[in-house]
Amino acid sequence: MRINAQDPERQKVFTRRTVLFGGGAGLIFAGLAARLYQLQVIDHDKYVQLAIDNQFNRRILTPLRGEIVDRFGKVLASNRQNFRILLVPERTKDLEDAIDRIGQHIEISEDKRARILRQVRRRGVFVPVEIQDNLSWSQFSKLNFELPQLPGAQPDVGDTRDYPYGEAAAFVIGYVGSATETDLSSQENNSQRTLLRQPGFKVGRDGLERTYDEELRGKAGQMQVKVNAHGRVIEELKDEATPPVKGKPLALTIDADLQLAAMEELKGESAAAVVLDAVTGDILVLASTPAFDPNTFNVGVDPTLWKELNQNPYKPLMNKPLSGVYPPGSTLKPVSAIAAQIAGLTTTHRVRCTGKTWFGDRYFNCWKRGGHGVMDMRNSIKHSCDVYYWEIAKTLDVDILANTARKLGLGQTYELGIPGQKAGIFPSREWKRQYYAGQPENQTWFQGETLSAIIGQGAVTSTPLQLAVMAARIATGKAIRPRIVRAIGDLAPPTPDAPLIDIDASYFDVARAGMDAVTNEIGGTAWRSRLTEPEWRLAGKTGTSQVRRITAEERRQGVVKNEDLPWDRRDHALFICFAPVDNPRYACAVVVEHGGGGSRIAGPKAREIMRAVMKKDPASRPAIDPRSLALNSALSAQGG
Amino acid sequence: MSPMILSSRRRGFRDRVSRLHFPLLILLTMIAGAGVVTLYSVAEGSWNPWALKHATRYGAALILLVAMGLIGIRFWKALAYPIYFAALAALIAVPLIGESHMGAQRWIELGGFQIQPSEAMKIGLVMGLARYYHGLRAEQVSHILYLIPPLLMIGVPVGLVFMQPDLGTALLLGATGVAIVFLAGLSWRIGFLGIVSAVVAGYGAYRYEILKSYQIERILTFLNPDRDPLGQGYHLLQSKIALGSGGLDGKGYMEGTQSQLKFLPEMQTDFIFTIFGEEFGFVGAVGLLALYLGVIIMAMGVALRAKSHFARLMSMGVVVTFALYVFINTGMVMGLAPVVGVPLPLVSYGGSVMVTIMAGFGLVMSAHVHHDQEIMRSREFF
Repeated sequence: MRINAQDPERQKVFTRRTVLFGGGAGLIFAGLAARLYQLQVIDHDKYVQLAIDNQFNRRILTPLRGEIVDRFGKVLASNRQNFRILLVPERTKDLEDAIDRIGQHIEISEDKRARILRQVRRRGVFVPVEIQDNLSWSQFSKLNFELPQLPGAQPDVGDTRDYPYGEAAAFVIGYVGSATETDLSSQENNSQRTLLRQPGFKVGRDGLERTYDEELRGKAGQMQVKVNAHGRVIEELKDEATPPVKGKPLALTIDADLQLAAMEELKGESAAAVVLDAVTGDILVLASTPAFDPNTFNVGVDPTLWKELNQNPYKPLMNKPLSGVYPPGSTLKPVSAIAAQIAGLTTTHRVRCTGKTWFGDRYFNCWKRGGHGVMDMRNSIKHSCDVYYWEIAKTLDVDILANTARKLGLGQTYELGIPGQKAGIFPSREWKRQYYAGQPENQTWFQGETLSAIIGQGAVTSTPLQLAVMAARIATGKAIRPRIVRAIGDLAPPTPDAPLIDIDASYFDVARAGMDAVTNEIGGTAWRSRLTEPEWRLAGKTGTSQVRRITAEERRQGVVKNEDLPWDRRDHALFICFAPVDNPRYACAVVVEHGGGGSRIAGPKAREIMRAVMKKDPASRPAIDPRSLALNSALSAQGG
Repeated sequence: MSPMILSSRRRGFRDRVSRLHFPLLILLTMIAGAGVVTLYSVAEGSWNPWALKHATRYGAALILLVAMGLIGIRFWKALAYPIYFAALAALIAVPLIGESHMGAQRWIELGGFQIQPSEAMKIGLVMGLARYYHGLRAEQVSHILYLIPPLLMIGVPVGLVFMQPDLGTALLLGATGVAIVFLAGLSWRIGFLGIVSAVVAGYGAYRYEILKSYQIERILTFLNPDRDPLGQGYHLLQSKIALGSGGLDGKGYMEGTQSQLKFLPEMQTDFIFTIFGEEFGFVGAVGLLALYLGVIIMAMGVALRAKSHFARLMSMGVVVTFALYVFINTGMVMGLAPVVGVPLPLVSYGGSVMVTIMAGFGLVMSAHVHHDQEIMRSREFF
């Protein structure tokens, strides 16, 4: 059977449609060519830029943080190599799995894991997050070996802050930590924010590290790197790199040796010690015990450690020399003696101490129950007679006392650059008006309050730093101001020449003589705390400040001895001193929280600290030249 | 049957060789040459692992093409249904005995060879449909009863490939089949209705989640590349960057930074056109497209000159398949079509597709060499 093979109708349709298809194909090819023209010719420049962005990554070069050194150049804070493992979330398929894989080699706690995930959410997938830093060499090399099995992992040798003195200088230096959202938003521009986001980059969190963060931080550099699609660096374009600029070094007034000695002396107590150069105001020692180790804070504080530190009754997180406020107690008496002279009394003013005096509606009891007998101004300091000052206070205008105390350093803060400084209180009529601003009925000053204030009790509070300033100002008669930063970079402000205090210079004599007698005459309250070397002759004043009110009832039954009280109800022990007596150079204040008596506890500690100070005599040695310091620091940045 | 007439038309071997479509062979070889050159560049200036193998495979495939071309068109007509059904059987076998490869079952092992039945089906479908319409009169084509067999012939393999799941090949098969039905003379009215119902079916597939999530993802990303900069859209963006940064005359051979730095995935296969476009620029890319267009025009010429309806439809089927490969692949890398994973014929590295394409052109060659052979219309199976 043969049918018509040539079906003309069929062929006609086919030919028509084939031509149609051919036309369609031609149109599509024209469309493709047009699209190519658009991509490759019209938008060429745009894609060239994108291609360059693709290939070249700007890599931030983090600057080294400036060192912090003591007055003789001893390093208090520097940088050391830090082996870390980072994770680039963008390069992982499954972030959790990637963390688990690293977790097979180093321990990653649940907390840490949560923190890593939080950071990734906050910072985005392109910013590497730190999984663990401060790895040991063996851990680090093992991770490097396992790297092909660890997606997204990136080993890195960074720098971390190192505090060789550990807790000894914790409160002076402070510590650093990773930037928080607040830090990021407070930055002026994007490149600074980028720097702060770099893994492991730390900013000052507390102390001088925080205050001088900008100076210490330095400037970020940058380098163009050629990368492939996996972000792997193919080539570093060194020619186009801007090197980072290391932060400026900070030279302090602190003497690291003495600081260490003081910390050792205060060990085991909740205590503070401040040593000043009484002429320049340089802070040589700013000790607070117990302290924390800032090296453990750099890594990010372990929550259990943090809790422990917070709950410790000895308050290891409190910078006691600056933030602890204590009633000065009897250490105020030299100031009171000066105030009495301003009010018109002479040093020959005598009072018979019978052990108590009546004022208002009650007796005021001297610390010595039997009384001191007849006292003049000098002996009132030597024996720390309360009644002598109460008799004066009965007629003394409290504002004269407050004014004098203020001029001698109490009730104010000083520009140190260490955050958290307290001003303390020295009460006056004006103070009381302001304090009870909402309660006019309580604004009247009662003379009874002057009786409390004159022996450094009642509303009077002061910081150990203020007490040291007070001791220095009494010793020299000059309005010295404490400082702790000697130089920033190669710039050292000139040593300030303190002006004389506008109080008749002769009024200071009895205060100094009285303090001399306290330590150097038998019968003085701190005779046991004297320094026996004649050229180191130390003048001091004890103080024991009550932290509780002794009721008349208790007094009748006999005052309970400090040793029998729970620790936190015992008296604070205080001691201020200066040396040498004939040409004062150093002043010191020691406060031992709930230490009991000033003469028994605080005095001997102050004496040992002062012994070390006198022995080294830092004021006689040349401090480090900030210019050479800055140069050395810059050189070490290049070397590293 | 009239063997007398047929034998009188039988040609000698030399005659047949001299009738080979040499311009077409040259164009195909030029395209494959572009592939070798690009693969050499992708391997950072090395014959390994792709360029040498590509060249060797092309050589073998060229021999296959010529051999197929020398065989008479009646032989292919006789083999049309057997090849179609063998491919279909293999497709059915895939889910039963197939190898799973990257989440999709596409391969079966046969006597130590890996066979991809969906590739064989590309040839089988073209031959089967051409064979079917060869036996129909013009007025029968648009008759609804005569429309059922071709729809089944298309629908069953498309469905099987789709379930593997290989969306790209399924679309390609479906489109080729539909194109042949149109070329055979289906009335536009029915065609229009068919397209409408296909769109409705497609929407239904989307609504009732018949498509795999990654397939939906690809289509959505195609519609809006910015929604997923590091996923599918990332590839597309990188592809456009590579092409666009190539400019008018390209970055020069082996100088394509985007591709050399591995910003592009699957450079040796699906994204090879980008590398070519980056290194040889607009001029080179359009030149390559022109080669493809040349092949298509020549093969269409073969189809138009063929005396038998089987040869015409089969040649056009091959042309459509080839053209769709080119359009989808180049359109994909330029951001005009979804990223469906279709290689650029003869340029992309990969054996199966090369064999398919070259075998297809072997059929076209046969239609050319034997273009004046008529084949009587019969409904016999062979």
